[in-house]
Amino acid sequence: MPDVPKEIAAEELFEEFKEHSVAEFFKKNKQMLGLSGKIRSITTIVHELVTNSLDAAEAARILPDLEVSIRQLGEEHYEIEAIDNGPGIPKKNVAQALGQLLAGTKFHRLVQQRGQQGIGVSGVILYSQMTSGKPIYVASGTNKESFELTISIDAKKNAPKIHSINELQKKFRGIRFKAEFKDVLYRKGEASPLEYLRRTALANPHVQIIFNSPDPAEGKIVFERASKVIPKLPLEVKPHPRGTSVDELLGMAKHTIARKTSTFLKTDLDRFGDNALKDLKKMITFDLEKDPKQLKWEEAEQVVKAFKVIQFIAPRTDVLRPITEERLEKSLKNIIEPEFFSVITRKPAVYRGYPFQVEVAVAFGGNAGRETAGVDEATGKQVRQTEIMRFANLTPLLFEGGACCITKAVKAVEWKRYGIKEFDNAPLTVLVNLISVHIPYTGAGKTAIADEDEIFEEMRLALMDAGRKIGRFISGKRNEKEKHEKKKLFLKYASEVAIGLNKLTGKPKDVIEKKLHAIVLKKLKLEEEELENGGIEQLKGKKEDLSEEAEGGEE
Amino acid sequence: MPTAHEKEKMVSQKLKCLGKEVNEMIDKKQGPFIELPVRTLTNVYFDPKSQTIKLGDKTSQRQFLNIAHTRKFMQTVLVASEINKLVEEKVNVSIRDLYYALKHTIEGTNENTFEEQSESDPVIEDLEASIDLLREELHLTATSKGIIVGDMKIKDGKDTIDLNKMGSGGWGVPSNVEPDRIEIKDLSADYILFIEKDAVWKRFNEDGYWKKNKCIIITGKGQPARAERRLVQRLNHEFKLPVYALMDADPWGMYIYSVIKQGSISLSYSEEKLATPATQYLGLTTKDVDTFKIPKEVTIKLTQLDIKRINEMKSYEWFKKKPWQEEFDRMKEKNYKLELEALSRKGIRFITQTYVPQKIESKDFLP
Repeated sequence: MPDVPKEIAAEELFEEFKEHSVAEFFKKNKQMLGLSGKIRSITTIVHELVTNSLDAAEAARILPDLEVSIRQLGEEHYEIEAIDNGPGIPKKNVAQALGQLLAGTKFHRLVQQRGQQGIGVSGVILYSQMTSGKPIYVASGTNKESFELTISIDAKKNAPKIHSINELQKKFRGIRFKAEFKDVLYRKGEASPLEYLRRTALANPHVQIIFNSPDPAEGKIVFERASKVIPKLPLEVKPHPRGTSVDELLGMAKHTIARKTSTFLKTDLDRFGDNALKDLKKMITFDLEKDPKQLKWEEAEQVVKAFKVIQFIAPRTDVLRPITEERLEKSLKNIIEPEFFSVITRKPAVYRGYPFQVEVAVAFGGNAGRETAGVDEATGKQVRQTEIMRFANLTPLLFEGGACCITKAVKAVEWKRYGIKEFDNAPLTVLVNLISVHIPYTGAGKTAIADEDEIFEEMRLALMDAGRKIGRFISGKRNEKEKHEKKKLFLKYASEVAIGLNKLTGKPKDVIEKKLHAIVLKKLKLEEEELENGGIEQLKGKKEDLSEEAEGGEE
Repeated sequence: MPTAHEKEKMVSQKLKCLGKEVNEMIDKKQGPFIELPVRTLTNVYFDPKSQTIKLGDKTSQRQFLNIAHTRKFMQTVLVASEINKLVEEKVNVSIRDLYYALKHTIEGTNENTFEEQSESDPVIEDLEASIDLLREELHLTATSKGIIVGDMKIKDGKDTIDLNKMGSGGWGVPSNVEPDRIEIKDLSADYILFIEKDAVWKRFNEDGYWKKNKCIIITGKGQPARAERRLVQRLNHEFKLPVYALMDADPWGMYIYSVIKQGSISLSYSEEKLATPATQYLGLTTKDVDTFKIPKEVTIKLTQLDIKRINEMKSYEWFKKKPWQEEFDRMKEKNYKLELEALSRKGIRFITQTYVPQKIESKDFLP
């Protein structure tokens, strides 16, 4: 007989729910926040700390210096420390800024943002205390004060809890963050913190990053700053009517200071003017004099439906801040040191009312591509495979590559056309950065970009453009190689020809051979000139062969 | 006719001239080349007068500075110098000897001047064609493999050989059968039977066919070497003997027949000295299958390659005669081919006692 389960009163259940609400929410949703899986979690922690530091430094117009250290304390047990030279956090704000989950969540801002909004550092703190049982250590130095504290989050109240706080004698500026984590694992590879930092440095050439790896083979790694120019701050835009949903419209209506719905629409939306208002009036059944806070769902629905039909001017696109071709070039030279590369920053475009912009870099040869374990027998060098680097608003995306629009766009390009015979096995790095005030992620994990036709097409065009440039380089390189091999071929046979002619005519072998060498060199030089004069086709045409077909052989 | 000595002098002169010309180009700082006749289907034609395949006058330049030619250019110079040496030293060597004599590793590489004999043989043929002399005259001999018996005597140097006393093995045809080397005497035969296959030749020899039917039987064991063809040409020319070819009824056998009769494309430059235009095709044909009531199950289905080859041969000038076009069409239509041995189905001696005598009697030949 199975046990009859004991019934639990609703009050009891609710009490439990309240006590554990924040922690439970977190546990249940940590995979959504990127904190699932031992290897992935450690990278996500680094990501949260780094984006926080970069955003703060950028806002304060400071050239960022970051130092990230990971130390192994035991099995699947690490201490992670992140030090920046940012503005720091004033003592009066520090508890709030760090210790409240979701505290930073602002209502749906349309601005090019680096990280995952909201969960940020407080999620990391909660993860640390949940796995290690210890508060975390933070030191903060602003231009006025320097102090250190240990802090945890009271999960019951979703409130910060400061354990200790001390003034620091030695003044500094920035944040030092140190916390212990269990159930995480550091492993080398494409999803590692090191790779994350390398790519961050690539997309943010004004940042200097030092990384101390727990793996002695990696040790201390420095990514030098390639540019001293702090990028301009991106601008916030008002939502464009085309990109607005019913839910968002109602949310905005609740927070507006406008008294009338018509005023609300004109002030809180981008590109919504008197003409649009006139058109809208004809398409709805309620009075636009109405207080926006009183808007009903059905009414908002009518408005959004009308937005799809009304003609609007495209949203402003000058709010985006791409890496820029110039800075990306510097960065590639600095970090990848490829033999050749091409960089394309497309003009801004619009999808569903959101401005966006695509940047692409294709790097070939040198240290481009991912190093594999295999060694090329001919050159003795490590074999390199193509790597695709995905970025959204300058932030590396390391997971769920297969589901991402960037990967699909890269695969949609016919690389063979550009002289890359086997796309997967080439010393090739393909970098794509999508910038937008609103990145269309596939899910809450924010690691893959959804397919949007306009975005896909912009990426494809940019990649093809960059591919063409790379193709020219590769074919040039092949010509060089061919020339070298031709020379080798002719000179190889020259000595044999000289031996034969010497026997046949009695002329000294050395003299004949010397003259043949001169003829070979003259011919190759001539070909080179023809090539430079664009005579490639002409040269190919010269290859008429003594076609010696086998026809009914004898003997 | 020039004497052997005069010939040697001429060969040496021609080869040295080739070397001199190349040297002059080098002195002028030009990329050197050697002008050679084109030995492909595009440059051969059927000469109705001699009834043989002949080489046209198209030439091409084998250039040192062309990546597709350069290796062959080097090989041509080496072969020319080696042949010149042979002629001057008056030694005869086989084309295989020549290959080994010239094969060595190119300095500073792991590549050989010649990797296989199939690389040096065509170069020899190029030079033969270019200076218009037979390889025998270049002091080179090809390996021959053919055998012959019949009522005749051969004087080979000091030795006289009686070809009707050769037992089951027959007389091996030497590689040089030129009149200054081989003399044919005391011949008593009405025709020559040229048999494609060794095994079938042995059947004819064992059954004493040549004795009973007063003929000479010869085989080249597949595609005949030039010595067998030259010997048959001499027998035809000097003794006016008709030549009947007995081949498999398949594209390969019929092509061999055409080589005996008109010559081959690759040796088109010397076919006047090798081909026997009087040759007639005795069999097998697909028509014979009906005439002699040969059971269908011994036929073989045509392959894709067979059909391709039949179509090619149909377009050759020397196969344009109506009976041949009909034979090819019939072969394609019936979609089979037939080996000589298939006749054994009708009895081991059917071929020697019934088939061949009947065909000769009825003169049922293809032209």
